[in-house]
Amino acid sequence: MSATTTVTLADLTRMLRESAGEEEGVDMDGDVLDVSFDDLGYDSLAMLQVIGQVQREYGIRLPDEAAADADTPRALLALINTNGHVPQTG
Amino acid sequence: MSCTALNVVTRDLTVLEEPPEGQSPAGAQGVDTALDAFGLTDSPTRAGTVVFLVTGDSPPSPHGGVEDVAVRTAESAVSALVLAHAELVDGTKDVALVLAGLGEPGPVRASRVTLSRVPREDDPASAGDTTRMLLWSGSGAGDETRTRARLRLVVDGMTDDVFRALPAVVPCRPCPGPVRAAALCNSVNPTAALDAAKAFTADRPRPVALLFPGQGSQHTKMASGLYRHEPVFTEAVDTVLDLMGAEGAAIRADWLAPHRPVIDMDDVRRAQPLLFAVDYALGKLIMSWGVRPTALLGHSAGELVAAAFAGVVSLPDAVTMMRERVRHALSVPAGGMLAVAASEAQLRPYLIAEVAVAAVNAELQTMLAGPAAQLSLVEKRLRADGHTVVTVPATSPFHSPAMAPAAEAVEREYTRIGFRSPDLALYSGYTGGLMSEQDALSPRFWARQITDTVYFRQALDQLLAAEDTLLVEAGPRQTLTAFARRHPAVRSGASAVVPALPARPRGPAADRRSLLGAVARLWTEGHDLNVASFSGPWADGEDRAAPSSPVAPGGR
Repeated sequence: MSATTTVTLADLTRMLRESAGEEEGVDMDGDVLDVSFDDLGYDSLAMLQVIGQVQREYGIRLPDEAAADADTPRALLALINTNGHVPQTG
Repeated sequence: MSCTALNVVTRDLTVLEEPPEGQSPAGAQGVDTALDAFGLTDSPTRAGTVVFLVTGDSPPSPHGGVEDVAVRTAESAVSALVLAHAELVDGTKDVALVLAGLGEPGPVRASRVTLSRVPREDDPASAGDTTRMLLWSGSGAGDETRTRARLRLVVDGMTDDVFRALPAVVPCRPCPGPVRAAALCNSVNPTAALDAAKAFTADRPRPVALLFPGQGSQHTKMASGLYRHEPVFTEAVDTVLDLMGAEGAAIRADWLAPHRPVIDMDDVRRAQPLLFAVDYALGKLIMSWGVRPTALLGHSAGELVAAAFAGVVSLPDAVTMMRERVRHALSVPAGGMLAVAASEAQLRPYLIAEVAVAAVNAELQTMLAGPAAQLSLVEKRLRADGHTVVTVPATSPFHSPAMAPAAEAVEREYTRIGFRSPDLALYSGYTGGLMSEQDALSPRFWARQITDTVYFRQALDQLLAAEDTLLVEAGPRQTLTAFARRHPAVRSGASAVVPALPARPRGPAADRRSLLGAVARLWTEGHDLNVASFSGPWADGEDRAAPSSPVAPGGR
């Protein structure tokens, strides 16, 4: 992952959709940044799958515990974008 | 130390036409009818009674009273409860009667309110649990806004003690309108919760389908926050456990054990009976709110609960069937289950010996089951190939050929069960569609459920294709809710889903808040909920609250 790349919400929702095998074009409604993954329908298996995909696609390593604690897209994006040695954009 | 709770018994009364104006004070006929209905007739009792007429007027208007009974007015049902609480607590009156809908067509809703003192120290978690669900509505957007503004004035001054005294769910207007809102409030900033509540126009509520989870959804103390707090739930759990005799008592003890249970919750001897009891009791509870589900779908062991509600088997027979499954499963060598983030087709090449596809849950969520050693080999290969695998808490290889001896034994037992055809749409994971009469009546069909694959995903597809639906998951965790949320019909908003309980164990207060969230979701969907069913106290450690007060004439 290059130092200028930031994983966006759009990237994350795409990976979530792919990890769960959801159809394209049926998107999550509205502002999901602070909606919990539980409420979005991503259970622990789906979250493990998406974290695996993030690690592979971006070549980063997310600590298991921190990843499990990140329970919203905002929290997970913050984790991804700091662990990849990318400055946090806030 | 004790705290107060308001016991509310609500009945709909038919009031004869008021005599012409001028002959008696407004509402006198209704007040008399209600006093009679609750047996508040002799004069000392009438002297200890205060009547609140819910008029919708703000501010409350003075009322001349009716004979020897004090009559006041209140702008909303919730403000009447607050006023009633104040008078009952300071001891001026023993009973309050809240009458709503007087002078309007249709029945008058009469609530008899009394005070009870309940010990608080039993359950420290519930002592601080003063969160209540307020439901309100309006005939249009403007009316809803005005109702909310009036409600705001009431809740703004409500102390912790008042919140604690209120029933779990407080309907704030007698006649529900189509614009609906709900807010979970406690004494910490209740107006913020009111202000933040979203209003929904609910003119065409989608029918409700109940989802019952199976093995894998159990957890320590699951749903125990409702037990001995919610009377209908409590009675239903006890009914199921009582059907299991001494074993039922041991199951209850392990379920509620403050420390380690004798037998772990993931053991089939605890997981399945308790899941059955909790799923069944939640189904009963949701129906007690006046919700009539049009479809049912259970996952694995949850299908037995669905069968009981669909009238395929009686409750005692369903419990017997579940117990036979458990008993014979124990004779099968230990096994387990895995959840894999992959499709059924991707997993086929990994199957060896008695390891089989146990369940197809969602697009990329499939379960495998089999004997322990074989399953562990498969797990290693899957992980080596980069598959995401989670071990499901299960001690038996349900839905694999390893269960065949148990299925045969169970089938013999099931020949004694009296099966009937389903009397509402019952979807089956074993056919992935609507259960046929032939299947419903077949002991073999039911026995094969322990060896065969669960096609939950296909059954959910069929259910959601039949009609746009509001799915309600009646069971612990949100396993089936998560599958449903990822379904295109739910993602697109055509259908919707709401869980009754939290996604993960978060303690008794969270169980109750989650349940109230389900009430709110049904309300904002536009379902007309049976107000009387909510009026029981949200008991703080009260031992086995009775479903209806013994002094209520006729009960409901």
